[in-house]
Amino acid sequence: MTSVIEVAGLHKAYGDFEAVRGVDFAVSEGEIFGLLGPNGAGKTTTVEILEGLRARSQGQVKVLGFDPEVSKRSLKDRIGVCLQATNLPDKLRVHEALEWFAAFYSHQADSNKLLQRLQLWDKRNEFYSKLSGGQKQRVALALALVNEPSLVFLDEPTTGLDPQVRLEIHTLIEELKAAKRTVLLTTHYIEEAERLCDRVAIIDQGKIVAMGSPRELQERVFGQSRIDVVTALPMPVDLPVFEAVAKHSLSDDCKTLVVHSTRPARTLPDLIKWIDQRGLELEDIHLKRPTLEDVFIELTGKKLRD
Amino acid sequence: MLNSYLTQIRMNLLLTLRNRMALFFSYIFPLIFFGAAGMGGGGGNPLQVVGMVLGLGVLGGGLMGVGMRAVQDREQNILRRFKVAPIGPGEIIVSGMVTALALQLPNIIFIVVLAHRFLGAPWPTQPGSLLIFVSLGLLAFASLGGIIAALVNSFQEGMLLTQLFYFPMLFLSGITIPILAFPLWLQTVAQFIPATYFNNGLQPILRGRETLFDNFASVGALALTAAVGTLLAVKLFRWEKEEKLRSAAKFWLLAVLGPFLVLGAWQMHAKTNIAKAKVLGRDAQRSRTALIRDARLFLGDGMVLDQASVLIKDGKIAEIYTGSAPDAKSLRADGIEAAGKTLLPGLIDVRVHLSLPGFPINDPQFYQNPDQNFDRELAAYLFSGVTAVKSADDQPDMVGRHQATIVSGERLGAELFPEGKAIDEAYDPALAALEARRAFQRGRTDLLDRALVQQVIPRQWFAQLKDAMKENARPEIIMNPLAPDVARKTLTEAYAAGRLLVVGTESGYPMVVHGPSVHRELQLWVEAGIPPAAALQGATYNAARLLHADSRIGLIRKGYDASLLLVDGNPMQDISATERISTVFFKGERVDRSSLFEQK
Repeated sequence: MTSVIEVAGLHKAYGDFEAVRGVDFAVSEGEIFGLLGPNGAGKTTTVEILEGLRARSQGQVKVLGFDPEVSKRSLKDRIGVCLQATNLPDKLRVHEALEWFAAFYSHQADSNKLLQRLQLWDKRNEFYSKLSGGQKQRVALALALVNEPSLVFLDEPTTGLDPQVRLEIHTLIEELKAAKRTVLLTTHYIEEAERLCDRVAIIDQGKIVAMGSPRELQERVFGQSRIDVVTALPMPVDLPVFEAVAKHSLSDDCKTLVVHSTRPARTLPDLIKWIDQRGLELEDIHLKRPTLEDVFIELTGKKLRD
Repeated sequence: MLNSYLTQIRMNLLLTLRNRMALFFSYIFPLIFFGAAGMGGGGGNPLQVVGMVLGLGVLGGGLMGVGMRAVQDREQNILRRFKVAPIGPGEIIVSGMVTALALQLPNIIFIVVLAHRFLGAPWPTQPGSLLIFVSLGLLAFASLGGIIAALVNSFQEGMLLTQLFYFPMLFLSGITIPILAFPLWLQTVAQFIPATYFNNGLQPILRGRETLFDNFASVGALALTAAVGTLLAVKLFRWEKEEKLRSAAKFWLLAVLGPFLVLGAWQMHAKTNIAKAKVLGRDAQRSRTALIRDARLFLGDGMVLDQASVLIKDGKIAEIYTGSAPDAKSLRADGIEAAGKTLLPGLIDVRVHLSLPGFPINDPQFYQNPDQNFDRELAAYLFSGVTAVKSADDQPDMVGRHQATIVSGERLGAELFPEGKAIDEAYDPALAALEARRAFQRGRTDLLDRALVQQVIPRQWFAQLKDAMKENARPEIIMNPLAPDVARKTLTEAYAAGRLLVVGTESGYPMVVHGPSVHRELQLWVEAGIPPAAALQGATYNAARLLHADSRIGLIRKGYDASLLLVDGNPMQDISATERISTVFFKGERVDRSSLFEQK
C-alpha cells in the first residue's frame, strides 16, 4: 500500500521550547490513523505542520507527495480539514457556507449530495447561529469534504458533543473509511480511537511512545486481562498465590480485589472457588479486557483527560 | 482564483447586508447626520454638508469596515476556518477592501442625489474625479484599518486604536470643523493627518473647482498609503489570536504614514494647505444661499424697484422677486429682512493708488511691507461697500498677486482690476480728491471726523494723524489750479452732455482715504447738482462698463455676481445713506465686516 503521509525525524521548536522532538510515522491510503495524547503533547503542532499551517524546524514530511512547507496551496487544495473550535459568521446560511468554501478549491463535491449525506438537507437554509452544536459540527465536516479530498484531517471532531451526536459523527467517519478516504484523527476519547482507528500513535511530550492497532497496543503493553472481585466480607490481606496472576491489589476495606491475569479463563474459576471455600460471600465479579486508556496511563503515567 | 475573490466579495456583501449594525453605521447614520446638518444649516451650504457626510462615510467605512471585521472574525475563530482552505491573506484583505468600496460608492451617489434633490446642491461637475478620489481615500483608510487589525489582539483594543485614528481625523482634518478655526499650532499638526489631504482634495473636487490632477500630492499620498498599507496588512495578517506578532511590526504603521509625515513637514514650510483651507472656507461662505427680503432695489442702471427680494445662490444673483417676498425656508435660504433698506450693486472705484496710504504718515514701518498695505486697503474698500477697484500707477506684479488672492478667496477684499484701456467718453471728476487736497494744504482735519473714515484707518496711525496734518500743512502753496466750483461746473456740463460719468477717487493721495472716499465723492456729485440715481450709476453700472466687466458686475440682475451693498434708508433721497452700511455681500458671501481687518 502507498503511503499518503510520511513523517521522519520531525522536530518543532518555539524558541527554547521543543514541542515536537523527533516524530516518525507513516499513514497508508485508506487508513484511519489516530493521534492520541494529552494537551500540549505536540499532536496539534504535528498535524498543523502536515496541513501546511506551520513550518517545521527539522525532519522530512511528505503529504500526498507534497512538502507542506513548499507547496502549501496545492496541498490545501487537495486535503480536507476539520479544525477544533472554528466558527462561521452567524448570519451565514448552511448552503451558502458550502458554496463559499467550495469556491476556493479546484475540485468540488456535489454540495447537495454532501448536505444529504451529512443530514443537513433540511437545515440548508438555516442561519449558522441557529444550528445546534451537533449540526455545527456536521457543517464543519461538510466543509472538510467540499473538495472531495482523498485525505482528511479531523482534529477532535467530537469533543464537547453529546453521546448521541458523537455516535452520528462516528458513523460518518466510518462511511469515509468505506469510501477509501484516508483519515488522520486526533482525539481525547479512547473509545473513539478504539472504535474508529486502524492504527493509533500515542504522543507524549513531543514523542511517539507507542504505535500500532488498538488491539496490538493493548496486548503489547499488558497481554493481560483484569478481574474485579467484590465480596460482602473482608478478604484476608495474605492472598494465596494464584496461577497466571501478574499482580493484584486490594482495597483499604479489603472488600474489592483487582487481579491482572495472563490467563483469565484459568484464574477466574480459581478465584471463585477460593472465595466459596472461605465463605466470603461473592457479591460481584467481572472480567475486563485492558482499554487503551489503561495503556495510556501505563505508558505516560497520566490520564488523557482530567 | 478569480472565482474565490468574487465569491469572497459576494459573501462579504451578503453578510454586511444581513448585519443590522453595519447597515446602520454605513447607511442610516450618515443619513441621520445628513438630515440633521441639512436642517440645521437651513439655507446653509449644501456642499459643506455633502463634504461632511462623505468624509464621515469614507473615514468610518474605511477604518472600521475591513479592519474591525477581520478582528471580529479572528476573535470568533472564523478566520481559523479559512486558514485551512487554499486562500491567502491577500484575497481576504483585497476582497474586504473591494467590499467596502462596493458598499460606500452607492452611498456616496445616494448622498449626492439627496443633496441635489432636497438641499438644492449643484451636481458635481467632476463626477469622475470625485468617485476616483473618494475611492482612493476609502482604500487608504481601509488599508490603515487592515494594519490596525493585524496589530491588535482583541476587538476592544481594535476599537480603541481605530478611534485613536478616527476622531483626530474626523475633527482635525477640516471634514467637520474648518481648520482655520484652530490655533496656528493645531493647524500645523493637522498637516500631518492623512484625512486632511483627503478633505483638501474632496472639497474643491466636490465644488468642481479642481480635478484629480490638481490634487496630485494628495492623490499620490493616498495612493501610496493604500498600496503600501495593503501590502503590509497582508504581510502582517493574523488568522488566529494565538499567532504572535513581531514587536517590530508596530513600526510598520509609521512606515505607512510616512508619505503624510513627509507632506506634513513640507507643509510646515510651504503652508500651501493653510492657504487652500482659507480658499475652501471662503468657497463655503460664497456658496451659501440667502434671500434678501423686501428691500428697495437700485439696480445700477438708474432703475429702482420699491419692493423686491433677491435670492443669492452659489455666489450669483439667482432670482429677483418683485412684490411680496417669498418664504426663505422654502427656498432653503438664510432670510435677511431688509424692509426700509436699499440694496445696491457693490460700489466701484475706477481709480485708486494702493501703494499710497491715503493719509499723511511718517511711520517708516508703514512702507516696509507694501503687501500688507495692499491687503488692508482692499479690506477697507470692502468694509466701505466698495466691491471692485481699479488700480492706477501701482506695480503690476503686486497688483497681479493681490488680484489672485482675492479671486481665489484666500483673502477677503475688494476685487482688484489692473490698469487697462479706458473708455474715451468716460468722465471722472474726482471731486473728493480735490476737496481732500485743499483740506490737506490748510491743515483742516474735519474730513477725519466721518465715522467710516475713523473705522478704516488703523488706530495706531489715527492718533498721530491730526498732528501730522498740522505739520504738513502748506496753506501758502496753491498746488491745485482747479477751484471747486469750476470742477463742479465741469461735472454738471458733462452730465448734461450725456458723457459716461464714473467714480474714480484717486484714493491714496493724502486725505483721500481708501474706501470712504467713494461715498464722499457721491455726496459731492449730488451737492454739485447731479441726481442721486445718476451719481450712484457712476459708481456702479458706468464704472463696471469702464472696467469692461459690466456683464458680471455693476448691476442687480439675474446671473450677475452677488456683490452687493445693503444700506439703511434711501440714498435716492439722502445720498449720505450709502455710508450707513447694513450688510456687504461679496461674490455671495455675507461679509463679516468686523473681522475684515483681522485676517491672518
